[in-house]
Amino acid sequence: MMYHDDKRAVVRALRGAFSLLQGMGITFSYIFHKPITIQYPEKRADIPLRFRGRLALPVDPEKGIDRCTACKICAKACPNHSIEITKEAKPEGSGPVKPRPASFMYNMGSCMFCNLCVEACPFFALVMADDYEMAATGKDGFIMDLVAEKRVLVGKKAPWWQSEFRTEGEA
Amino acid sequence: MGNFVYDLFYNTDVLLKAWTTSAHASWAARGAPIVVLDILFQLLAAVAVALFLVLNALFIIWFERKISALMHMRRGPNRVGPFGLRQTLADTIKLLIKEDIIPDTADKSVFRAAPFVVLAATIMLFVVLPFGKGMTAADLNVGLLYFLAVSSLSVIGILAGGWASNNKYSLMGGMRSAAQIVSYEVPAVLSLLSVALLAGSLKMGDIVHAQPVFGYAVLQPVGFLLFLIASNAEINRGPFDLPESDSELVSGFLTEYSAMRFAFFFLAEYTNLFLAGAFGATLFLGGWRGPFLPPFVWFLIKSYILVFVLIWIRWSFPRLRVDHLMKFSWKVLLPIALLNLLVTAFLVKII
Repeated sequence: MMYHDDKRAVVRALRGAFSLLQGMGITFSYIFHKPITIQYPEKRADIPLRFRGRLALPVDPEKGIDRCTACKICAKACPNHSIEITKEAKPEGSGPVKPRPASFMYNMGSCMFCNLCVEACPFFALVMADDYEMAATGKDGFIMDLVAEKRVLVGKKAPWWQSEFRTEGEA
Repeated sequence: MGNFVYDLFYNTDVLLKAWTTSAHASWAARGAPIVVLDILFQLLAAVAVALFLVLNALFIIWFERKISALMHMRRGPNRVGPFGLRQTLADTIKLLIKEDIIPDTADKSVFRAAPFVVLAATIMLFVVLPFGKGMTAADLNVGLLYFLAVSSLSVIGILAGGWASNNKYSLMGGMRSAAQIVSYEVPAVLSLLSVALLAGSLKMGDIVHAQPVFGYAVLQPVGFLLFLIASNAEINRGPFDLPESDSELVSGFLTEYSAMRFAFFFLAEYTNLFLAGAFGATLFLGGWRGPFLPPFVWFLIKSYILVFVLIWIRWSFPRLRVDHLMKFSWKVLLPIALLNLLVTAFLVKII
């Protein structure tokens, strides 16, 4: 019995030593792997199409105007009340015109990037842009007027946002 | 001129000897006391060692960061200077000009002294280190004994630093370090005893000369392995970095240290890493001996190969538990070391 246990201990010790060498072999082989680091300020990561950066009200490049009708469905959908819209006053005596927002105040400080406003918008006016460097020096820096911004989408989000066939949840 | 350059690289001992004897002769001719000249020569050696120490630490810290980064598929330092080589210099300058914080409840004098004790113990090891042919500060007759005695002195500084910080983490780090260094000293001594048996001398120069071409690592594979493991534990690195284990003890005995005192601990740590590699190379890999290349180049190549192995080990294995650490030293390494010594003594006697 005793002899048997001793023998097993020796076998286990040798096996352990061998596994240590195996581990060192793995770490050594990794020296020759290519680093996966992205050198951030010079190179940027490839942002996925459905990345949820900050909210934007992009301008349609053909019409030069955003698609918002100030229906405030997005404001109702927002769980954090981060969106505050004021409707543009209808000109006196004019006929039926498409309503326009005077301002679209978006508070990024309380936004949790849930995408509910984008899903709620019936005119596909909103989009979560691909911005990710959004630091500000104060709380006021997070409150922005998306109408006045006149944001033009660039990159791979732009054709996706413009496509007529864009449906909910489909990339 | 070409002859002089050749001698400078390959026969440094002859050149140094000629220089010292001529200096002694001219000094004696003017009737000045020889002691002063000897002190001057020792100061020169000390300055050379100090210069080497700093440059080596600058390189070795960069080297470890780079190797560990490559093993993690990262890039490592690459901003300051070519390949990030000047990163350590920038870090050192930062550490030197930072505020030196001493805790209110610390034992101030001991706290201040501890880093210097550790660094002094480290620098003292350079005395017997043969950099090349005749490039030893003092080739003592008891070089090996001196090495073993002084290498465990740094534990006093670590323990003092841990105690004086008046912080539970520091104290535990210091205690662990003391226990660890004392335990691993035993297998290290026993593995080096077999080297002394083979060489028949404790003098570093004699040990280097007595080795076969490939060094004692071939005749003493077990001893070499034991020495590597034990010295790795003694310099508080690799899987044996319990004294400063960041995940449990914040930073161990370093917790309360900042600025220059921290830099001194750091310098001592990385110099100890080099010394572990250097003494391993000297005692087991034939030291500065080798074909074609100048002696000190061989010495540096062998030392840095061992340093690389120690870095490789550190970044491969997880940390040991405290009781496993002690068990490993007393129940595994010590019996193997004793057996190795016994077999070596027996073979030396009959061959």
